[in-house]
Amino acid sequence: MSRWRPSPDEERWLEVAARLGAVARDALAQRTGGWRSTGPLARIALFVLGLVAAGLVLGILDFGVPVLGPGATALLAGLIAAAAAEWLAVGKRLHASGIEEGLCVAGFLLIGAWIVTVIEPQDYMTARAATLVMIAAALAAGLRLLNPFVTACAMVAFVNWVDTTAIARTLDQGIGGGVTALTFGLALAALALALGAREYRRPSHDRMLDWLVVTLPIAAYEQHATWSLSPVVSDPIGSATGRPATTAMLLVLGVALLVVGLRRRRHAPLLGFMACVACLAVELRFATTLATETWLILYGLAALVAGVALDRYLRRPRNGLTSAALETREGPLDLLQTAGAALLAQRTSPGPPSAEPAVTPGEGRFGGGGASGRY
Amino acid sequence: MHTLEPELRTLHADGLIDDATASRALARDRGKVFSLHLELRATMYAGVLLVMAGVGTILARNLDRIGPLAIVLAIALAAGACAVAAVRAKLAGRALSVAGEYLLLLAVLLASADLAYAERQFTLLGPLWSWHLLLLAVVHGAIAYAFASPLVLAASLTALAGWFGVGGSLGDVLHFGYSTPELGGRALACAASIAAWRYADRRARPETRFSEVFDHFAANLAFWGAIAWCMEWPWLAAGLPLLAALAWASIRRGLDTGREAFLVYGTVYAAIGTCVVVEPRIHGATASLAFVLLIVCAAAAALWQLRRRLREPGP
Repeated sequence: MSRWRPSPDEERWLEVAARLGAVARDALAQRTGGWRSTGPLARIALFVLGLVAAGLVLGILDFGVPVLGPGATALLAGLIAAAAAEWLAVGKRLHASGIEEGLCVAGFLLIGAWIVTVIEPQDYMTARAATLVMIAAALAAGLRLLNPFVTACAMVAFVNWVDTTAIARTLDQGIGGGVTALTFGLALAALALALGAREYRRPSHDRMLDWLVVTLPIAAYEQHATWSLSPVVSDPIGSATGRPATTAMLLVLGVALLVVGLRRRRHAPLLGFMACVACLAVELRFATTLATETWLILYGLAALVAGVALDRYLRRPRNGLTSAALETREGPLDLLQTAGAALLAQRTSPGPPSAEPAVTPGEGRFGGGGASGRY
Repeated sequence: MHTLEPELRTLHADGLIDDATASRALARDRGKVFSLHLELRATMYAGVLLVMAGVGTILARNLDRIGPLAIVLAIALAAGACAVAAVRAKLAGRALSVAGEYLLLLAVLLASADLAYAERQFTLLGPLWSWHLLLLAVVHGAIAYAFASPLVLAASLTALAGWFGVGGSLGDVLHFGYSTPELGGRALACAASIAAWRYADRRARPETRFSEVFDHFAANLAFWGAIAWCMEWPWLAAGLPLLAALAWASIRRGLDTGREAFLVYGTVYAAIGTCVVVEPRIHGATASLAFVLLIVCAAAAALWQLRRRLREPGP
């Protein structure tokens, strides 16, 4: 039993409690070693509140004690935030509750910012070292908290950092802009996928790998796509070799993710597969001369046809696979779905004609205070 | 990978979970039952988003080349085609599947875009153009009831909010600084209308699936309106008690129904409202920031405690 974080057994019981909801809640509370967690929406809200609180501490010190200077202010604010997070985790035994996570992440990043002020980056090399310090701070916070989101963000930032290294730039000269970082990111995703085959005692370790599998393909490809879109990059040799290589790597990883996802019955590899398909679709767009609206509609129709086919195929469960929802509880995704539908509806509804009448009650328009409301 | 099978078996052996709960949880843990509902929804949403983006680009770019009447007819035809699956399911007496519901949403959105385009091209209602939004709200509402679709109801409520002159996007909601008492009044009127609609719906159809959608729209609009009122005197005199009452009602609703979102609304909006009221009256940046920090800490503590009291339903 650890004072600093739940033991693997305690974390497993917390996971069971989250899955079962109110069922056997009191009995489970005794098995979690006093560690307490919260629900997904409250966790998100508390995480944001933690970040805001740390930012406010920084502001108070900055305005209240101006003699400290920016570096010392960041260090002091970071130490206060990190100490508050530790007090909540160790003293109050909060785990994955949001508030201690927001404070810890902000605290570590502020301490990282202080180190950056000590380094005083003045050229390209030291600026890159400073970025690496911030990435290391985020990764340390993620590992301390066993938080998959923060860990994944740090790894995504690391892949982006790799793209800025001299080695990557040199390699990119021969194989295409952003291909080195893409290869690195996809290799990390493949490694996370392979490590996911092991059985882990801690659910959080498994979840960290899941997040890497989902986020890294898109993050890595984004680097390559940015290079492809850049008007200042003229790279005929790289394009000739880079595009087929990119397509091949995405294809191989995508197939592996699909097979593994179906075999292990896990969502993360399947979502990673969908990310690879999206990246391949964009890559295909670069290779063709289709008009933007044409490819948008074609890809949209392809997604709809695939969805309808899958829905029809799995209407009756096949080998345990089903398209029906297994949860009856309202979760963040249900809220997201409603918000998404509202957002789409807002963007397609009628806007004002060219000569706009004054807005009076009952004659409003989308956007309220001043937005155009045009789709 | 990880499995929680030993823990679930222990709970079952100790009699803490019944046979049905245990077998369901074990089947899901082992992957004997695996739902692709999430992936399906993401795929369908991406499809709808891409098609609507493409149609929007066509409407913006190809007006002269294709001609307005041809565009209106083509989009109307596409909307009709998208609704075929939902109509067939209804005629067959089946409930809408996930894919069917998203196709129906696409049909509704295409119809909205078509109407918007027709209105801009032909100025059918002239200065009364905003009544199109009410028309859309009514038509989408009727479709939502006909096909029992919460997604289409969300589109209907968005059009209704638009008719009231209230923006429905997250960006608008977060820009409290642009809010005025007049806008707040419209948001509150819209929230009251939606609440009345919800009440009538609940009375007419006790088994309705729409209550959650109504609740989220009404709560967010009402909080937004109350906070807008909190920004200026004398509206503040009504806005602050209203905000307090809404926060209490939202938290009460969350605790009664086991829905976490309403605890978050109640505490976070109350914290924002308090900061909006008090912060401009405090002199000095340090004191202002210290006050906001105090409110943030209080809100976090309140949300944490309330969440601990929540009895959420089982899986």
